[in-house]
Amino acid sequence: MSVPDYMQCAEDHQTLLVVVQPVGIVSEENFFRIYKRISSVSQINVRDSQRVLYIRYRHHYPPENNEWGDFQTHRKVVGLITVTDCFSAKDWPQTFEKFHVQKEIYGSTLYDSRLFVFGLQGEIAEQPRTDVAFYPNYDECESVEKRIEDFIESLFIVLESKRLDRATDKSGDKIPLLCVPFEKKDFVGLDTDSRHYKKRCQGRMRKHVGDLCLQAGMLQDSLVHYHMSVELLRSVNDFLWLGAALEGLCSASVIYHYPGGTGGKTGARRPQGSSLPADAGNRHRPGALTTNGINADTSTEIGRAKNCLSPEDIIDKYKEAISYYSKYKNAGVIELEACVKAVRVLAIQKRSMEASEFLQNAVYINLRQLSEEEKIQRYSILSELYELIGFHRKSAFFKRVAAMQCVAPSIAEPGWRACYKLLLETLPGYSLSLDPKDFNKGTHRGWAAVQMRLLHELVYASRRMGNPALSVRHLSFLLQTMLDFLSDQEKKDVTQSLESYTSKCPGTMELLSLPDGLNLPPVPFTKLPIVRRVKLLNLPASLQPQKMKSLLGQNMSTKSPFIYSPIIAHNRGEERSKKIDFQWVQGDVCEVQLMVYNPMPFELRVENMGLLTSGVEFESLPAALSLPAESGLYPVTLVGVPRSTGQITINGYHTTVFGVFSDCLLDSLPGIKTNGSTVEVIPALPRLQISTSLPRSARTLQPASGDEISTNVSVQLYNGETQQLDIKLENIGTEPLEKLEVTSKILTTKEKLYGDFLSWKLEETLSQFPLQPGKTATFTVNIKVKLDFSCQENLLQDLNDDGISVSGLPLSSPFRQVVKPRVDSKPVNPPEGSKTGDFSHVKTLEAILNFKYSGGPGHVDGYYRNLSLGIHVEAEPSVFFTRVSTLPATSTRQCHLLLDVFNSTEHELTISAKNNEELILHAGECQRMAIQVDKFNFESFPESPAERTQFTNPKQLEEERQETRGLEINSKLDIHWNIPSLKRHGEASVEGILNQLVLEHLQLAPLQWDVLVDGQLCDCDVVADCRVGDPIPLEVRLTNWSKRNVGPFALTVIPYQDYQNGVHNYELQDAITFVGSNTFYIDSVRPTENSVCLGALLFLYTGDFYLNIKFHEDTTSKELPLSWFCLPSIHIRAQGPDLQA
Amino acid sequence: MAVCIAVIAKENYPLYIRSIPAEHELKFHYTVHTSLDVVDEKVSAMGKALVDQRELYLGLLYPTEDYKMFRKLHNSYTDVMCNPFYNPGDRIHSRAFDNMVTSMMVQVC
Repeated sequence: MSVPDYMQCAEDHQTLLVVVQPVGIVSEENFFRIYKRISSVSQINVRDSQRVLYIRYRHHYPPENNEWGDFQTHRKVVGLITVTDCFSAKDWPQTFEKFHVQKEIYGSTLYDSRLFVFGLQGEIAEQPRTDVAFYPNYDECESVEKRIEDFIESLFIVLESKRLDRATDKSGDKIPLLCVPFEKKDFVGLDTDSRHYKKRCQGRMRKHVGDLCLQAGMLQDSLVHYHMSVELLRSVNDFLWLGAALEGLCSASVIYHYPGGTGGKTGARRPQGSSLPADAGNRHRPGALTTNGINADTSTEIGRAKNCLSPEDIIDKYKEAISYYSKYKNAGVIELEACVKAVRVLAIQKRSMEASEFLQNAVYINLRQLSEEEKIQRYSILSELYELIGFHRKSAFFKRVAAMQCVAPSIAEPGWRACYKLLLETLPGYSLSLDPKDFNKGTHRGWAAVQMRLLHELVYASRRMGNPALSVRHLSFLLQTMLDFLSDQEKKDVTQSLESYTSKCPGTMELLSLPDGLNLPPVPFTKLPIVRRVKLLNLPASLQPQKMKSLLGQNMSTKSPFIYSPIIAHNRGEERSKKIDFQWVQGDVCEVQLMVYNPMPFELRVENMGLLTSGVEFESLPAALSLPAESGLYPVTLVGVPRSTGQITINGYHTTVFGVFSDCLLDSLPGIKTNGSTVEVIPALPRLQISTSLPRSARTLQPASGDEISTNVSVQLYNGETQQLDIKLENIGTEPLEKLEVTSKILTTKEKLYGDFLSWKLEETLSQFPLQPGKTATFTVNIKVKLDFSCQENLLQDLNDDGISVSGLPLSSPFRQVVKPRVDSKPVNPPEGSKTGDFSHVKTLEAILNFKYSGGPGHVDGYYRNLSLGIHVEAEPSVFFTRVSTLPATSTRQCHLLLDVFNSTEHELTISAKNNEELILHAGECQRMAIQVDKFNFESFPESPAERTQFTNPKQLEEERQETRGLEINSKLDIHWNIPSLKRHGEASVEGILNQLVLEHLQLAPLQWDVLVDGQLCDCDVVADCRVGDPIPLEVRLTNWSKRNVGPFALTVIPYQDYQNGVHNYELQDAITFVGSNTFYIDSVRPTENSVCLGALLFLYTGDFYLNIKFHEDTTSKELPLSWFCLPSIHIRAQGPDLQA
Repeated sequence: MAVCIAVIAKENYPLYIRSIPAEHELKFHYTVHTSLDVVDEKVSAMGKALVDQRELYLGLLYPTEDYKMFRKLHNSYTDVMCNPFYNPGDRIHSRAFDNMVTSMMVQVC
């Protein structure tokens, strides 16, 4: 006997073996239909007793195993059922003959046999025969089960008779020696009369009877027989049969203890009677078998409990039996099967450790050279048994060995499909699931080295199976989940083979279903490359949409009346984690930045990398990238264009790596940092592009507030220069540009600016609106740089030390007014370096021009865009007014403003004032220019009341006043400079340099003195003619423009003659006579009123006379400034009467 | 005597494995892996018997008392665990542990 039945279990000992076989040509389908029906009758309650017969059907049974039938009767084929097709009566004899031939094979052991004939009808079929049953076809054979039952009953009768026969012939007749096939030759020539021999015969026969009793449903009897047999055989050291007797004892006990069966074939053994199911829960109840029992005698109950082995004993006895079997090489199959049976029992008892010992033993039982198929079967069954006792790893190991056996090199046609199937079954044992999601959480589960090996085998098997999609999936899985455990070389190998596979069959994201129902989920390469951070990027500053400030009510929509509450802040934080507080615009390219790194030791090419989104129609623009080997974090920007509006959620990204498409969802990525993934997409807005006439600046402005500058222009201007900036506005979007607003903001505040830095007129540009896509409009901005033209303090002092006082005390000599061109030999650069720096300081002015624009559907929704133009102006100094002073002019209503002008440029420069000639200044030259100006009546300047209230601080008020005065003066002066070599020109302003003193001098005194000689207003340079001898009326008129009463004053008129040599002759009593007093007295004058004093002069000689009107020193006049009492000196030419004639 | 020494994490993956004929490494991987069934069985049996017993020593798979192996190995393993830079659950990369294992293997071979 060489073919082990690995499916055996202990309760098989009580079954009768019936072989069902087809004869002739019977289709497999038909045969198994009948076989199934036949084998459903596996348990029969024998008619006249309570005993139960169990039948084991086999459709194939090796006849050599049948030869061991005496050893263990359940191995003996006792029934044969043949199934045959026969369609004509002509074929019948032949068919019947075949049946007989078939019977011959098992002939020696058969108790009975049956022939089922299908298809034959007619005369023959109507003959009533017990051993043959005729059915017209496979569908009309209702009585098959009944026939089988009858057949089994007939088997029972034979069995019962044999049992009784063997059990009763006790003495007298010589008991034959039962033996197994290989023993037969050993007993040749043995002394058959010895006690020893007799005992052996008795023992073996007892055992045989025990087997029969067990089969016949007499458990109790079999136990008794087995016990007796064990005793007999032990005494004669008949080990093989002793083992069999012990095994029989075990089997019977197992049947008693575990009525549910040990083979795991639930349902195969239908519990008979009513009390058996209850027994399952209470195995040790002695009365368990009463319904089966031969009699209900309690004495036998006691005996039964004694004969039956306890569960622990069963295992001991099995061990003993197996140890006896192992003494015989030829009994390998018996030993193996005994081991398997014991394991099944132990599995029921949940004694895994001991079971594993039995199995271990079974592994080492060496049967003859096994065929490959048998090996596979053997490993598979070992695997199943290990599984049964909960040793999943060992089970997986043997399954894998079986799988490898399927494709052993010695096999001509390797069964890759079977191999693959078996390999899949090993997965749980290696705690490997094929779902990559299971590997995302926590540490790696299971034994990586072994798992890797298994995956490699799966890949190979599936490839040989001819299913490249499967091998790609497994290889992807290997790469994704085992990446940390692969060596550099292995990574290279795996990726190479993956690439070669995918060149034929690209990896997809579809679920692969195997025929046996296993689903292989897709494997996204989330580790190739590894993504650490996902950040949705805002649009560039110039394209960011801004919400128009809505009404206050809408802004205050938050439920809480508090501006800040920690509770609300907390909630907001949570919301923010999901939603991002910026918007994307429909139709505009938006970006998502991923920080990725490549864990591979070689360059990783990622193709077709794009975004996976939901919520909004989104056009993803995939990118291809190449990451260097083991790169650090590497930023990758994925772009796309939202095509509709609403909430867009970035769910993940897709890649193609090594020809495998992956959809990686962010939710399933471990350890990823994100700033949220949902963004609102607002309706489309136009896009404005600006280009300017000025060169772009490399420098970017850094404004303090959040707005960013898109374009920067820079220009170099001389102080006082004006430059026109032409801005071309182009609508490069797809929506019409409907609205535009321009504002400016000057960033540098430390420099004092005079006048408007930037000025523009928007109306002209707006007339071209709405601006259709692709159209341009122009916009002009004037840049005027007007900084302080005064020098720094130190320079001023430096230049002042030539002794000329700035204090504009009235210099009475009219000759001093002659402009004395001052050839300044002072070096331009003072010796100290620090002064140089200050002096040639280039000032920087920065401003931002903001263009707020909107249009299209975005405008309807209240969004606009902001484009900023940074203007960077480098203001170089042109001219400086190093010093300012005044000289009184001949007229009291005028004065001379003296300006020391310094050319700080490196070019020749001309400067001109309102009505002066041009003054040429060489580079670095300083010259004085005098400008005659009318004095100003500042009091009359209108001052808006608003300004007044604005500057409550008197100091500020004063400053403001001074500023307006400066402006007024400047506009009168109208100083221009021109650099002919550069063809540049500009203004110069004195606003910054006018100090209080100078202003005072420029101011028209509030007391207006008019001197009239002969009714003619006399001012500087006016020569009044008169006749000698005629009295000349002299009128002095005072008009008070100040706000208070002035006076009283006393004036004295002192005539004198100027000899033009510095000598003044005051001794003129004999030349001039006053008619009346030469002293005038003016009473106090109220504001806006005037007072007139009249007198007369009489010239006695001809000549040029001057009148000096002096004030008497008085306490009252001292309160008032000196400059208020500035009266013109009067020049009178007295002529002779002859000239008159 | 010892041809392979392995330290297994309680989550059933190797913290450390080393075998002397390096070319049969995979074979030892399989051997050790399959032997874990027994450990599992012992652990579960313990669990049933003594629920809150802190005794982690399961006994010996094979009679190795002669070589005083377990004590040495366990001491060294404790040292590794005491290393503040060691992350429980990581593979063991310790020179001291390596040396100790090597000494245990070389001793007999």
